[in-house]
Amino acid sequence: MKSGLLLIPVLAVLSIFCLAPLLEVAVDSLQTEDGIGLGNYLEILTSPFYRQAFANSLSVSLWSSCLGLVIALFGAASLRRLPGRLRDAVVAATNMASNLTGVPLAFAFIILAGTNGALTLLLRQSGLFGNFDLYSRAGLILIYSYFQVPLALLLLYPAFDALDDDWQAAAALLGARVWHYWLKIGLPVLAPAILGTFILLFANAMGAYASAYALTTGNVNLVTVRIASLVAGNIVLDPDLAAALAVLLVALMVLVTTLSQRLLKKSYHAR
Amino acid sequence: MSIVEVSGLAKSFGQTQVFQDISFRLKSGELVTLLGPSGCGKSTLLRCLAGLITVDAGRIAVDDRDITGTPAYSRGIGMVFQSYALFPNMTVAKNIAFGLAMQKLPADEIAARSAKVIGLVELSGYESQYPHQLSGGQRQRVALARALVVEPKILLLDEPLSALDARIRKSLRDQIRDIQQRLGLTTIFVTHDQEEALILSDRIFVMDGGRIVQEGTAESVYAEPASQFVARFMGHYNLLDGTQSKALLGIETTGYIAIRPESILLSDHPTETEEGIPGVVRRRQLLGNIIRYSVESTGVSLSVDRLNGSADDLLPEGAAVRLRIDKSILREVH
Repeated sequence: MKSGLLLIPVLAVLSIFCLAPLLEVAVDSLQTEDGIGLGNYLEILTSPFYRQAFANSLSVSLWSSCLGLVIALFGAASLRRLPGRLRDAVVAATNMASNLTGVPLAFAFIILAGTNGALTLLLRQSGLFGNFDLYSRAGLILIYSYFQVPLALLLLYPAFDALDDDWQAAAALLGARVWHYWLKIGLPVLAPAILGTFILLFANAMGAYASAYALTTGNVNLVTVRIASLVAGNIVLDPDLAAALAVLLVALMVLVTTLSQRLLKKSYHAR
Repeated sequence: MSIVEVSGLAKSFGQTQVFQDISFRLKSGELVTLLGPSGCGKSTLLRCLAGLITVDAGRIAVDDRDITGTPAYSRGIGMVFQSYALFPNMTVAKNIAFGLAMQKLPADEIAARSAKVIGLVELSGYESQYPHQLSGGQRQRVALARALVVEPKILLLDEPLSALDARIRKSLRDQIRDIQQRLGLTTIFVTHDQEEALILSDRIFVMDGGRIVQEGTAESVYAEPASQFVARFMGHYNLLDGTQSKALLGIETTGYIAIRPESILLSDHPTETEEGIPGVVRRRQLLGNIIRYSVESTGVSLSVDRLNGSADDLLPEGAAVRLRIDKSILREVH
């Protein structure tokens, strides 16, 4: 009972700053010019433009989350083997990198890999850069991955402590190669951490706005960019439609989280 | 016939020499114990034999085949770890079948061999349990079954009983010895527990500071320690330096005289005329079936073991006694 009481401050903050605004957004999403109804949702679901926004957001988020996760998995596995000082330095740098987002990040990428960026010119001269366009969906995946990789690394790194070195030794003595070990033992043991990290990365990417807007000035159609333009744009203002977009964004996240919970229930961790 | 032949093995980590000049031969079906204190290099030596750590120098051969550079997965060596090292995401059955699955054997053969070995370690009925649902002793039996099912040429046991409580340790120790003898499996057992080593081993290799300092049968290593270290490590020997030995026994030595506590006879109702060295009981410790007395005589403190008989035989602290020491069993060590 006493430990339940300690939850009150958290629940109060969650209610005031998360649930109440969400409820407000949900109520607003049902407001239409003709009164209360599902008109905003119908408009979104029947509009190719908004459907494209969801498709782009999902695509950028999925790719950047998967890319971030895979790179971070290798990084975390390697980090565990590094000597203490070097490991601490890498973790500190990673921490810093994971917090560099938004306009400064977009600007950094523009001067580095933009049309006339230093790296672009250098690689173009050596014939390696091809036709890569930073201001496209691929560019967005690259810039998102920049903050997804360190975030995933920070989240995954502690989970690797759960792996016992003797498991790999035992597996090797039973005839398993390194990849066998990771496929059959390492990754299944890390599954909850990997799934949890993936959800956080996915949510992080789905909700990202500043970096995407600063880089593409809205030229790539994303849900967050559409919400911003409907709330504070200079052509069409429709906050209720923006609220419906936000509710659908939340619903997508709930769906992904539920799926991951179902997957986890099937793993040995739940037994 | 030697099945394992190790010669001139050496390993160091940076500036630290873990072991050096390790050479020995193992006969087929023999159980040999590497016995030594923590940090003496015994576990590292075992991991080098398994192929989990590379050696700096020397040669390891099994059945006349040089396996020094062979990777662990193709050495044909089984190993049981102190930490069990069971795969937590697999059931008992899947843990045990893992090695057979890696060999890509047919499913019916995997099932048959797994069932046989599960019966051998008396784990029938636990096949669908996960490691975290088992007790320590059961986990170690799963680890043993997993190592045995692939029919290794050599079985390595790295302090497999250390994490278990005394009762389970004793029963599993007997079970390991029984299975090893039944299968005629050449086995190397690592422990820091001299009692475990004495009970289990055909031969004992005592290690200290990265070297094998004595090897022999359990009886010979216990009764004839080759050095002061072995005497101290093997059996609570009383070690008397030159001055103490001269004072107590009238024997001069440049090393130490080693006397086993159980070889000293205590006379608890001494008479004036009785032979022996007079002494006084200073402390009494109950070790179960043994009572260990600390007896002081001519300024020297000696440990003396007596069987724990009836309560009437117990000597109180402060009791005057006479010590009789058979000089023929004394050993001079350096």
